[in-house]
Amino acid sequence: MTECPECAASVESHEKILGEVFACPECGTELEVLGTDPFAVQPAPKEAEDWGE
Amino acid sequence: MKAVIVGASGYTGGELLRLLLRHPSVEVVQVTSDSMAGKPVGRAHPNLRRATDLVFVPHAARQAADVTFLATPHGESMDAVPGLLASGGIVVDLSADYRLRDPAAYPRYYGREHPHPDLLASAVYGLPELHRDALRTADLIAVPGCIATAATLALHPLARSGLLTDAPVVVDAKSGSSASGREVAVAGSHAERSGVMRAYALTGHRHTAEIEQETGLRIALSCHAVDPVRGVLATCHAPTTRRIETKELWQAYRAAYGPEPFVRIVHESEGLFREPEPKWLAGTNYCEVGFAPDDRLPRVVALGALDNLVKGAAGNAVQSLNVRLGLPEATALDFLGLHPL
Repeated sequence: MTECPECAASVESHEKILGEVFACPECGTELEVLGTDPFAVQPAPKEAEDWGE
Repeated sequence: MKAVIVGASGYTGGELLRLLLRHPSVEVVQVTSDSMAGKPVGRAHPNLRRATDLVFVPHAARQAADVTFLATPHGESMDAVPGLLASGGIVVDLSADYRLRDPAAYPRYYGREHPHPDLLASAVYGLPELHRDALRTADLIAVPGCIATAATLALHPLARSGLLTDAPVVVDAKSGSSASGREVAVAGSHAERSGVMRAYALTGHRHTAEIEQETGLRIALSCHAVDPVRGVLATCHAPTTRRIETKELWQAYRAAYGPEPFVRIVHESEGLFREPEPKWLAGTNYCEVGFAPDDRLPRVVALGALDNLVKGAAGNAVQSLNVRLGLPEATALDFLGLHPL
C-alpha cells in the first residue's frame, strides 16, 4: 500500500505490475507503478495534444 | 410508524410522499392540502399515480400521527409546532420556522418575531452530517434550506480546518426553478423563467443566516435562478491564511466526510465529470462537494451540488428521521440517479 501523490488516499498494490497505469480510486488521477517492492507510484505522464508526436 | 404530510401537494411534499411510499418502517396515513382537498395525489404528482390510494384532505382534518411532516410555506409551522409536540409525536418541519437558534434572526430575515422562541433551543437542525447525535433524540427536526445545505456541506471541512481567514466567504449559488415552489407566479412562468440566468437576492438572502449559524463563518451570499428544474450549485470563494495544496484539501474533506453515506467528495483530474454537478444528482439524496486551491491567490474555491427537492429538502428530512428512529440512514434513499439525463 502507498499514498496517492495527488490526494493522499491509500492505494492498494494488489497484483499490480511495474509500469502499470491505473486510476486512483478517490481522485481519478492516472498513476504509474514505479516499483512493486516497496510499492511506489507517480502520476502517469500525460500525452500532449499531439499524442506525444 | 404512521406519518402525516401537511402541505403534500407542493413539490417538497410530493417528494416526501415518493420517498416514504417505499419506506419499510413508515406508513403515510394522511396527506393534507387545502387547494387539492378531495383529489387523489396523482392529480398533483403524476409520478405517484396508482402508487397509493391516498386522497388529499384539508389541513383542518389532520390526524395525530407518530411523525408529522410540515411541508408548508414559511411562517405556517411557527404556530402549528407547539400543539404537535404536545400531542407526543415527532415533528419534521421543512420550512424555515425553526432552523435558526437566535430569535433575533427571524425579524431580520423573515420579517416577523418568532411567537415561540422558547422552542428554538429544542429544535435540531436536520443535517445529519453535522448534528447526527442530537438527531437521535430530537422531537423537533428543522430541515435546512437547499442553498444552505449545499453551501454548508461545501464549507464545513474548511470552517473546521483552521485554514481560513476571518474575511467573509463569498457564496455564489445557482438554483433551479422548483426551488421556488409549485405556486404559479409570473416570474416563474415558462415565458419568463425559461433560459434565464437571473440574479436575485444578491445580498440579504435568508439562507445566509443558516450558513453562518452552521459554519461559524461570515457569509456573503448571492443567488441566481438558472434554467434546470432541479438542482443547486453553491460556489464558495474562501480566503485562506496561506496557499493551500490540493492534497491538504483532500485530507480535510476526507476527515470530515469519510464515512458519510450521502456526501461524495469529487475533484478528479481526468475525464468529463471532474467537479460536482447537480444534473447527475437529480432525484438522489447525495450532495457532492469539491474544491480547488488557487495557485496564485490565497483562497480555495469550494463547491456543493445537490437536488434541491431531495438532499435539499425531502431526502434530508427522511435521512434525519432515519437517524431519529435508529434505522440505516439510506433506508428509502437508495436511488442512484440517471445518466444520461
